[in-house]
Amino acid sequence: MKNIDLKLFITIIILSVFGVVMVYSASFVWAEYKFNDPFKFVKNQLVFLIIGIFLMIMISKINYKIYYEKANIIFFITTILLILVLIPGIGTIRNGSRSWFGIGSFGIQPSEAVKLALIIFTSKYITNNSKNLKSFSKGLFPILGITFLVFGLIMLQPDFGTGFIIIVTIIGMLFVSGANLKFFLYLFLLGIFGITGLIIIAPYRLKRILSFLNPWSDPLGSGFQIIQSLYAIGPGGLFGYGFLNSRQKHFYLPEPQTDFIFSIISEEFGILGIIIVSILFLIIILESFKIARKVKEPFGKYLTFGISFGLAFQALLNLMVVVGLVPVTGVTLPFLSYGGSSLLITLCSMGIILNVSRYR
Amino acid sequence: MFYKNIHIRMKVVGIIIIFLFLIIIFKVFYIQVISYKKLNKLALSLWNRNLPIEASRGKIYDNTGVVLADNKTTVSLVLVPNQIKDKKKVASSLAVILNTSYEEMYKHVNKRTSIERVHPIGRRLSFDVADKISRLKLDGVYLVKESKRYYPYDKLLSHSLGFVGIDNQGLSGLELTYDKYLTGAYGSIKYISDAKGNKLELTESYEKPQDGMNMTLTVNYKLQESLERELDNAVLKYNPDSALGIAMNPKTGEILAISSRPNFSPSKYKKYTIEEINRNLPVWMTYEPGSTFKIITLSTALEEKLVDLEKEHFHDSGSIRVENARIKCWKHGGHGDQTYLQVVENSCNPGFVSLGQRIGKEKLFKYINNFGFGKKTGVDLNGESTGILFDLNRVGPVELATTAFGQGVSVTPIQQITAVSAAINGGYLLKPYIVKSINEPETNSVVLQNKKQIVRKVISKETSSKVRMALESVVTNGTGRTAFIDGYRVGGKTGTAQKVKDGKYMVGNYIVSFIGFLPANDPEIIVYIAIDNAKGITQYGGTVAAPIAKRILSDSIDILNIKKPKGASEKKYNFLDKKYYQIPDVKGMSLEEAMKALEKFKVEYIKEGDKVTYQSPKSGERILEGETVKLLLGG
Repeated sequence: MKNIDLKLFITIIILSVFGVVMVYSASFVWAEYKFNDPFKFVKNQLVFLIIGIFLMIMISKINYKIYYEKANIIFFITTILLILVLIPGIGTIRNGSRSWFGIGSFGIQPSEAVKLALIIFTSKYITNNSKNLKSFSKGLFPILGITFLVFGLIMLQPDFGTGFIIIVTIIGMLFVSGANLKFFLYLFLLGIFGITGLIIIAPYRLKRILSFLNPWSDPLGSGFQIIQSLYAIGPGGLFGYGFLNSRQKHFYLPEPQTDFIFSIISEEFGILGIIIVSILFLIIILESFKIARKVKEPFGKYLTFGISFGLAFQALLNLMVVVGLVPVTGVTLPFLSYGGSSLLITLCSMGIILNVSRYR
Repeated sequence: MFYKNIHIRMKVVGIIIIFLFLIIIFKVFYIQVISYKKLNKLALSLWNRNLPIEASRGKIYDNTGVVLADNKTTVSLVLVPNQIKDKKKVASSLAVILNTSYEEMYKHVNKRTSIERVHPIGRRLSFDVADKISRLKLDGVYLVKESKRYYPYDKLLSHSLGFVGIDNQGLSGLELTYDKYLTGAYGSIKYISDAKGNKLELTESYEKPQDGMNMTLTVNYKLQESLERELDNAVLKYNPDSALGIAMNPKTGEILAISSRPNFSPSKYKKYTIEEINRNLPVWMTYEPGSTFKIITLSTALEEKLVDLEKEHFHDSGSIRVENARIKCWKHGGHGDQTYLQVVENSCNPGFVSLGQRIGKEKLFKYINNFGFGKKTGVDLNGESTGILFDLNRVGPVELATTAFGQGVSVTPIQQITAVSAAINGGYLLKPYIVKSINEPETNSVVLQNKKQIVRKVISKETSSKVRMALESVVTNGTGRTAFIDGYRVGGKTGTAQKVKDGKYMVGNYIVSFIGFLPANDPEIIVYIAIDNAKGITQYGGTVAAPIAKRILSDSIDILNIKKPKGASEKKYNFLDKKYYQIPDVKGMSLEEAMKALEKFKVEYIKEGDKVTYQSPKSGERILEGETVKLLLGG
């Protein structure tokens, strides 16, 4: 048994500490306005970061094989939680979604936990059914069925962003596991038909989806957030306004510490900040992929890949929204966006990968 | 190897991820470099707030530095709707203070704009109202300083100065003509604001308002005041249809004073009719000049050497026959035998007809044109008229005859005074002007400067000197005696012209005028007064206009510091005239001795002793006989 992957560990620490710093910069205006305490958000985030790092280190010491054994029970419990959260009185509504368990001023989102649980569950499933994966009905259908079931539950909240990430993550895992490429072609065509069908049913959807191409066609509606984001990235210029000097965080960009924190990073640090953040993400993702390749047995391989691919997809989706490449989906940026449970789950997942790295 | 396929697919995924990150970085680069201009412009229009600061309008000075048009600082109400939290409360309390409806105020408070000016009820607030508003200490409610035009002397020079509207924009007179100089440029406080309208500490730039340029007039405030006073008195005394006056420096064309009645108060311009405001009579009004026009005929005859004033004689029988018309002299029965100088002194119409006949119509009209009649003088006051002259082809003997003594032509007062200036200043027709200079407010550097401008030479220096002599003798011996100032040399000419209505002369309705200048040998000031339809007095220029001009000329002696000449021509007295006597020195005399020495005057005294210790006026002064001399007898 080796030591944990230090390169990965340090990168995670750097990125998440930078995240807390940026949460402060992005949030203090709103925090001051809403709570009369500019440190309101950053204090919460710092607490979760400390707990998260502690948990990550703890988890990195727990043999990951235990998840193989407990995969079903973990998935079962988190799915129950996902159902419970839908019940009014138990789950609370935040930002229009009933996706939270409120504990005091903190909130926990079971969908984040379900994501990890499903990755574990899928990893086990692939490991056990590697021979059947060529077959649709025996191999792919059951796990896709479960995935869409989870997606359906999440859409009841509704939280399209998280649900979408889960589906893409599982499909990504199936792709890597060696499933027939034809299958992905069908899946792609199915997606096209599905989307076309949805547009035919309600044509306004097309307009909304396409509004990201020209946000100024609806500047106060669907284009609003992306316009505000572009006003942060553009005028900040290649060199940025400097740390703490963002203008758009002054009530122009709604809740800049969450989904659009990347805009604020760009506004304050310019292209250099963007390149550094991208590099940090790439180090985490590619280093995790390397661990996945090096680990000798399949469960650790799929688990590591699944976690890091989910992370990569979420990060990319967030960044592409922020720079206006895809429509707004409401996805946070891992490590950087404000949000306790998200940071906690992300760091715990990283703990798992770090543990896997001991078996390189 | 078993996992080979898996690893390849992982690498493919890895490459796609790297590729997507590169796309994102490229897109950010694109936004920051290619879209920068567009986004920055849009974002700045979102962030920037401008609090405009009004510039002070340029002041208008007389030629001695007296401020004729000034600025007063007032306050106006400005709202920043985003910063107003309790809109209903703010709207209702402001509505009460400004005495307007709640609905009206609520509209202002809710305007979707960054800065709302409450126009017009919130503009130029009085101190009381502003104080009430500021005491409420409402968020988002601001009082900003604005400057308001202020005319310290109210109606003085009103037509020429003009006035401004609520936004300090020039609406008439010089305020309008020179608006672009007098208006400054708005300054502003530019700041970056947050989405709630609060100022961010990040950046703030102050753009200083550029104050308007200052304007100096050729007008002399004291002379203007004198003219205004005299016109007011004339209105009280004669209740004329209108009255006007101009004082000018005949050597330069500088207008020293100009005014007319009716006039108006610039701060209350809305109370007056457009005609009352816009008609600057000294440049706008046209009428038959009457006998003051004879100066032109006289100058022409002298310049063309067609008359010897002292040696040649003319017999006035009371009328003169021209073709089939009989032209009467104003004096019933005529003036009898006169030298041509006496013709001028008596303003004898048949005498001038004979001069006109000697000159001939071509020459006379050439000179009339050369003296500037029938054309605008080009004075820098708006609303100038052209006047009307006979078409030369239609001038027959009768028209020539009447033109020679000032009938049948129509002129403006400014043409008249400019032409007579040319006749007496050595022969130069000048372009009259009222704006002396326009100066940059801070550096005082000159932006525009008017100087004496000669239009043309009309008559010779010698002729001009003869005209002056003749006109001096009009005041000393002739119809202008009422303008005589003892001890000074005054020249002048009266005028009485019947008004024309619908092509016919009106009965008992005259414009009486006088044009006079001082000192007669080297004139420094020329004054023209015209009173339209004076009531309750025999309407002659000598009885109505000349005394007014005299008082203004008398005032000018001190104001312009005009020296007493040595050889002032002695006035000839008729039996009605009172005479001037010099006061002897009576200091040290006893009361009886002093009374005897002062027998021509009335004496008032305070007796505290036996000898005269103080006398007023002092010895050497000349006063009219019968006027009072005060004495103090001390111990």
